[in-house]
Amino acid sequence: MGRRMGLAWTFLRVGALNELQYRVNFFLSLVQSVVAVGTALVVLALVFSHTDSLGGWSSDELLVIMGVYVLMGGLIRSVIQPNMQQLMEDVQEGTLDYVLTKPEDAQLLVSVRRFGLWQAVDIVVGLLLVAVALVRIGDPVSVWSVLAFVLTLILGGLDIYCFWLILTTSAFVVVRVDFLIELFDGMYQAGRWPVTIYPGWLRIGFTFLVPLAFAVTVPASALTGRLSGWLLLGAAAFTVGLLVLTRWVWRQGLRRYAGASA
Amino acid sequence: MAQRDADIRVSGLRKTFTVPEREAGLRASLRSLVRRTHRDVHAVAEVSFEIPAGEVVGFLGPNGAGKTTTLKMLSGLLHPTSGQVSVLGHVPWRRERDYLRRMTLVMGNRNQLQWDIPALDSFEMNRAIYRIPDSDFRTIRDEMVELLEIGDLVRKPVRNLSLGERMKAEIAAALLHRPQVLFLDEPTIGLDVTMQKRIRAFLAEYNRRYGATVLLTSHYMADVQALCRRVIVIDHGSILYDGSLRELSARYAPHQTINVTLTDPGPELSGYGELVSTEAGRVSLKVAKDQTSAVAARLLAAYEVSDLTIEDPPVEDVIEQVFASSATTVEVSS
Repeated sequence: MGRRMGLAWTFLRVGALNELQYRVNFFLSLVQSVVAVGTALVVLALVFSHTDSLGGWSSDELLVIMGVYVLMGGLIRSVIQPNMQQLMEDVQEGTLDYVLTKPEDAQLLVSVRRFGLWQAVDIVVGLLLVAVALVRIGDPVSVWSVLAFVLTLILGGLDIYCFWLILTTSAFVVVRVDFLIELFDGMYQAGRWPVTIYPGWLRIGFTFLVPLAFAVTVPASALTGRLSGWLLLGAAAFTVGLLVLTRWVWRQGLRRYAGASA
Repeated sequence: MAQRDADIRVSGLRKTFTVPEREAGLRASLRSLVRRTHRDVHAVAEVSFEIPAGEVVGFLGPNGAGKTTTLKMLSGLLHPTSGQVSVLGHVPWRRERDYLRRMTLVMGNRNQLQWDIPALDSFEMNRAIYRIPDSDFRTIRDEMVELLEIGDLVRKPVRNLSLGERMKAEIAAALLHRPQVLFLDEPTIGLDVTMQKRIRAFLAEYNRRYGATVLLTSHYMADVQALCRRVIVIDHGSILYDGSLRELSARYAPHQTINVTLTDPGPELSGYGELVSTEAGRVSLKVAKDQTSAVAARLLAAYEVSDLTIEDPPVEDVIEQVFASSATTVEVSS
């Protein structure tokens, strides 16, 4: 385990050091981030000029959700998406062969090879938004809720990672899956609102199919006193189950790639 | 050190792909949406050979002959349809770490180095993957960099390198863990002659230094002639010839060419052999191999000769001859 973390750390360090050379990208990411957050704030203000709460969330609480949404988006764009994009390219171009001839777990390798340093700007911006929202709410935040927040954030990140990897693994069957990125981006947009505002079937979809609820709403709940121990346990159980399923799908994909399933 | 006898043993190896089949045209396309017909393609049909430790073997055949499929099975990327393979005592497609750490695969038309970062950083990633101890890593890396003369190049982003420079960096990256078995699929493809020579010389040196076993495919016969004493010729998934390069010439090219330049050009020489060409007084004659010395002696006795050479036919021609003869007789040789 420690060695695997070491491997991931080496990749992260190499990736980050190289991105440092392209400082223009930092400003581009920052501008992009500011524009996105600005637009979202305007929309938020518009909504709350008509109503006081949305699905039981006050305007400042919704700001927490938006912060988590931006933060998770940064995590996706800096870690998950670049690796999955690389995996798709590798399947298309046949360079996945090089990953498979390495004496290391292939799933680990394809998951940690890339790191977009500047996309991680959104992680900081998201954290700032969350902090501002919490100050405006004014309630004291306990150490436990911060811990629960970090934990649910990790679980949510893992859920999104699993979702992506399962989608990308379909590249072993249907080779062209570039559209998946756009599809996911579109669906992820829905995460800026608490999943509770969506009608039942959509809410279930955003909870268990595209795990937006676990990625955004649940961590935000942890900071706004909405998270019960049961929900935390449920989120953990869901993540474990999803990780197992993802592993299985990945192995099936590899078997297919190697022609072992026929 | 333990005795290494045969590093690679392959017996009865087969790989059959099932591919969808349809005819050209819209109607056929639509029909294939509903009902797909499939066809079996025998990419590798019954291949057996052994390669002892430290040997460099050329794996030859036209495109689609089954070379790459075989290499992929040997490097653990593909499961065979049937047959047995043992490389360094491992079954490749089990992908055991012990095995993967001791072999490498280089494909000339695909890169493993990351495009946007310097090769040196990709080397660092391979160090982490292969768990190469720091001190060993520095020694091996510096040795590769020196042998391949890529000292300045490894610091530039890979996308800024020329094809040849990139290939050298690719090879260095693939050998950092000092593998004992090398599978090289067209390692010199698309490179200019000078660069091909460099890479050839490097591979020969690597083989000499570390006794590595090498199975190499190439379309450039110069690669094969320079590196391999033994060749395996494959076509349509079956081995047509397995033996020394010299014997291949002897068996499939029963002729040699005598080039002779007479001091007084003019005499008709077609009585000595089949006239191939006459150029600026230089006459080329195709003569049966067992006759060449006698014919040469007769020429030297009969005329005043200013220059006389005897040439083997180019290996390309010999290989072509092998494929041509296989069309009529299927021959599997040892």
